[in-house]
Amino acid sequence: MTTTPTQATDLVTLTIDGIEVSVPKGSLIIRAAEEAGIEIPRFCDHPSLDPVGACRQCLVEVWMPGPPGPDGTPSEARQMQGPPGRMKPQASCTMTVAPGMVVKTQVTSEAIDKAQQGVMELLLINHPLDCPVCDKGGECPLQNQAMSAGRETSRFEDSKRTYPKPVNISSQVLLDRERCVLCARCTRFSDQVAGDPFIALVERGALQQVGIYEEQPFESYFSGNTVQICPVGALTGAAYRFRSRPFDLVSTPSVCEHCASGCAQRTDHRRGTILRRMAQNDPEVNGEWNCDKGRWAFAYSSVGDRFEFPMVRENGELRVASWPEALRVAAAGLGHANASGVLVGGRVSAEDAYAYAKFARQVLGTNDIDFRARPHSAEEADFLAASVVGTGPQGGAVTYTDLGSASTVLLLGFEPEDESPIVFLRLRKAFRKNKTRVYAVSPVASRGLAKMGGQLIASAPGTEAEVIAAIKAGRGSKRVEEAAAALAEGGVILVGERLATVPGALSAAAALAEHTGARLAWVPRRAGERGALEAGAFPTLLPGGRLVTDASARAEVALAWDLAGLPDTPGRDCAGIVAALRSGELDGVVIGGVDPFDLGIGDADAVLGGAFVVSLEQRPSAATAYADVILPVATVAEKSGTFVDWEGRPRSFEAALTTTYVSDYRALDMLADEMGHFLGCRTQREVADEMTSLGAGTGPRPTAPNVPPAEPRQVADGHLVLATWRHLLDQGSMQDGEPFLAGTAPRATARVSATTAQTLGLADGDEVRVDLVTGACVVALVTISEMADHVIWLPTNSAGSDLRVALATEGGDHVFVTKDGDA
Amino acid sequence: MGLEEKLPAGFVLTTLENVAGYMRKASIWPATFGLACCAIEMMAVGTPDYDIARFGMERFSATPRQADLMIVAGRVSQKMAPVVRQVYDQMANPKWVISMGVCASSGGMFNNYAIVQGVDHIVPVDIYLPGCPPRPEMLLNAIIELHKQIQGSKLGVNRVAAARAAEEAALGALPTSLMAPTHDHTAHLVAPAGKNLLA
Amino acid sequence: MADEQKSPGFFAELFAPIAGFGVTFSTMFRKVVTEEYPEEKRPTARRFHGRHQLNRHPDGLEKCVGCELCAWACPADAILVEGATNDDTPIEDGGAGRFSPGERYGRVYQINYLRCIFCGLCIEACPTRALTMTNFYELADNNRADLIFTKEQLLAPLQSGMVQPPHPMVEGLEERDYYLGAVTAATDAQRAHVEEQSMRHTQEPTEEVH
Repeated sequence: MTTTPTQATDLVTLTIDGIEVSVPKGSLIIRAAEEAGIEIPRFCDHPSLDPVGACRQCLVEVWMPGPPGPDGTPSEARQMQGPPGRMKPQASCTMTVAPGMVVKTQVTSEAIDKAQQGVMELLLINHPLDCPVCDKGGECPLQNQAMSAGRETSRFEDSKRTYPKPVNISSQVLLDRERCVLCARCTRFSDQVAGDPFIALVERGALQQVGIYEEQPFESYFSGNTVQICPVGALTGAAYRFRSRPFDLVSTPSVCEHCASGCAQRTDHRRGTILRRMAQNDPEVNGEWNCDKGRWAFAYSSVGDRFEFPMVRENGELRVASWPEALRVAAAGLGHANASGVLVGGRVSAEDAYAYAKFARQVLGTNDIDFRARPHSAEEADFLAASVVGTGPQGGAVTYTDLGSASTVLLLGFEPEDESPIVFLRLRKAFRKNKTRVYAVSPVASRGLAKMGGQLIASAPGTEAEVIAAIKAGRGSKRVEEAAAALAEGGVILVGERLATVPGALSAAAALAEHTGARLAWVPRRAGERGALEAGAFPTLLPGGRLVTDASARAEVALAWDLAGLPDTPGRDCAGIVAALRSGELDGVVIGGVDPFDLGIGDADAVLGGAFVVSLEQRPSAATAYADVILPVATVAEKSGTFVDWEGRPRSFEAALTTTYVSDYRALDMLADEMGHFLGCRTQREVADEMTSLGAGTGPRPTAPNVPPAEPRQVADGHLVLATWRHLLDQGSMQDGEPFLAGTAPRATARVSATTAQTLGLADGDEVRVDLVTGACVVALVTISEMADHVIWLPTNSAGSDLRVALATEGGDHVFVTKDGDA
Repeated sequence: MGLEEKLPAGFVLTTLENVAGYMRKASIWPATFGLACCAIEMMAVGTPDYDIARFGMERFSATPRQADLMIVAGRVSQKMAPVVRQVYDQMANPKWVISMGVCASSGGMFNNYAIVQGVDHIVPVDIYLPGCPPRPEMLLNAIIELHKQIQGSKLGVNRVAAARAAEEAALGALPTSLMAPTHDHTAHLVAPAGKNLLA
Repeated sequence: MADEQKSPGFFAELFAPIAGFGVTFSTMFRKVVTEEYPEEKRPTARRFHGRHQLNRHPDGLEKCVGCELCAWACPADAILVEGATNDDTPIEDGGAGRFSPGERYGRVYQINYLRCIFCGLCIEACPTRALTMTNFYELADNNRADLIFTKEQLLAPLQSGMVQPPHPMVEGLEERDYYLGAVTAATDAQRAHVEEQSMRHTQEPTEEVH
């Protein structure tokens, strides 16, 4: 179901201030005026929200064509009247255009100008004159429009209505009620776009105000957008409160580094400190929105524990060293190692990943490189090589726009609200505007799924492959059959990275797409993963999706890199590298932004202790604790580069801050230089040019994997199967340093189905003790009506629930649950 | 150069410093060097009302070779910069520089490509004088400050030692970007360093 | 003797070589017509634009709200202001203290006198009359860093009836009352608060001795 291009017959022609414009049928007058280049002042109107006509600032005079005369032609246009004989101004943000309509705005109608001034005067009656202390001052639509559409002097002499201020709507969003002009943009956003209606207009008349539910906190991943769209300073962010003024800020276009959504953002800094990030309008990708993590989680680079200088280990202790010394030590260590691998991590830009890929092949002479710092499988590697790498919007891959117009979307191992929030917003919009049906193969129906109007196809962890096969066969429960039928009409299948943990699931997903003709897209969680895949930071792939095993592809890359040849055996994947480090087969490793805990390594000493470790890191981690050399690298604000979002769309960003930090590619270039190789990765331009000239591979695509589903393990009596994913806001190290944001993170809860809870004798709200192989955690229990039985869901890395190591351990996915306090 | 170079540090040298300083400060001849609006105020200082002659400065030297003090009065354009430096180089030692007005001192409100952002980029400045332009009293104040500086200036080995110390201090100084923007308001509320509040 | 020249007197002959200095010496005792600047300072015009001052409310709280309008108005970019939130949490509970009435105060305030052109636009821009100019003009210094005046240097000294912030607002009054002139001096409660804080400060080191 795609939108048909606008036909000429769909256009409506009207006259605004004497200018004739033709706009699509159903457009609002205010949009048509924008087409004509006329700006009508407004507060409540927002192109991405439903019209409401709350502020009445956009009044215009409207003349409609009269009834047709005897000869069939319309008679003189007639002014729309209110009280007898009086012109009635119309709100241009709620009135749609009609053929032959004549509109007069404040530009040509004195009466309208006066009416707008009157509305402005009324809005300002209760608006405090605290612009000097208001964060919005200087970029405030009310300030600007009071200048353009208001009276010069105030006639108001009484005292203004005041409220105690500010009110904390959440730990991050503050409300100054007296500044509010009741435009309802925030409540409409929460209700319509985010689907978190935790704020609403309460009370009436002069006492009307934005209020919160007392029982339920305003816990939304998208609350920051309400601050951005507030046309006055009523909603402000706690992190930016009183920190700066718009004219102090230097803005740089940037791209969010937190997930694979690829949001366009603006980074504002003052005197070398980033003060805020805003969502930028990119209709193709994030619209005008972003999530709170992207907006507020930028303080991690300035918490004070950055590596500012290179460090080398001497007598077991790290000490600061100069770059030449650190490079010399690193080069000597890697040179002496018998075999080395490269772990890239998910935070890198595509350019960085390319440098890692080239470094591994050229300098270390190995294909032992993997960007996946999370549970993964060889099946996933085959799947990515067959179905994902090298696709993009140009090549007809699934895009955000396609999600918006799809009739059916099937989510496999993917929870959009937590793992790719902008995909979630797009799916919710598709559900609201386009009646898109969303099906999720997941153990638990999340709140995010409900907000997308989604239906759960319940599947216990480990059984996803069978469920997908059932959808392909079109046999199973009623919902499976529905989904199968819907997909057969065309649809989109979104595969998350968690599906890699289930043997056979990715094979089944690829087969399902093949069978139904549905389009398939892979949505990783982290920003750097897709770019790293394209850049060849992968054991089986060279840059551009070229297969390591393809001799002509290797020759092509070797020619571009000016090398005699490239290693021809597929390398070890991340788990393989870790195992080889553990066994001593590898005794050197270059580590990017990888936290051993994310790999499920609880005993980093056994893995990294014996090897020579060169770490390119920003801040201390469990990996840098074992590093022999640490090369400090730039955070995303300090470097320029490109992320590739889940669509395969390159999202390039500029450096916001000028610092002495170098990006990973530059550090690797210097290290290669020290080791006697020329990597050619000195500047972002140089890397990007080389990547462009190398281009995508032209060799044949491998076939999709065909791994049979594994037999699900039997659940021992009294045990539950653990299902998990990460909350968007959790204990991730890139959210450090922002206590206000952390305050809005969802609390860790254990979710079980009502039946399971009954079997275990547990009730909603009980504190339960979950015994993991690595320890136990105590969390509150929540019963979910739609959920697979004998399954318990816990967040992967929230406060009080860190499962990362437990899950990687044998048998870690089967847990024992008791009520806390019981023995 | 002279006797002071031969003297060891001690009573004789410090006495000589005092005498030399007293003589020098009372006999400065400024170079005629008006660059912009500040020059008008500088000329006013030379009039009988303000009477710069009271400080032994009645003669504004028309040649730098007979001047000891360069009053950079006005914004220094990039084109003027080499001239300023040349005039300074032509002056005989000991010589001093007063940067008069904000334009000469930092570029002032002309933060642009055409104006040198502070004449101390070209010549060493002894006294910075704010104002736009500074009133004559402010220039007199600057001259008195300069007198104090000249009176306290070192000679011979003391001079070498002072220069060393100044360089040490400059090398050890924090970059301005790292300096605290203000003194800590709550400093007096915090216990002295090393004291554990919980103990 | 007719041709006898009238001989000069003894003293005249004695002083003849230095008679030229007569004018000099006699002038030394005359009233001086020039500006006697360092010794005697001629008052400036009352509205002379001199050094700035950050004023206080009558109870000692700062008038500056850190709004940065002065910095905005400054044509020479000489002013740096950073605001912060006033904090009514007790200082012993980790609060930062209250420095001005209302929500916001100027945490950082700097004027670079080597950029400032004393035009007074900042004074016009100030919404709370926090920033005014004095007639003080003796600002010459021998380095650039010292001519960046910080908030401590610019703040007006405490006058009688004022106590040193941080301290709470006058009890029972709102921010607007400060501008309506309802506050005339620090109250006993404010004094007690400040004394308590300073006692706490002075006692703490001695506690260690006991």
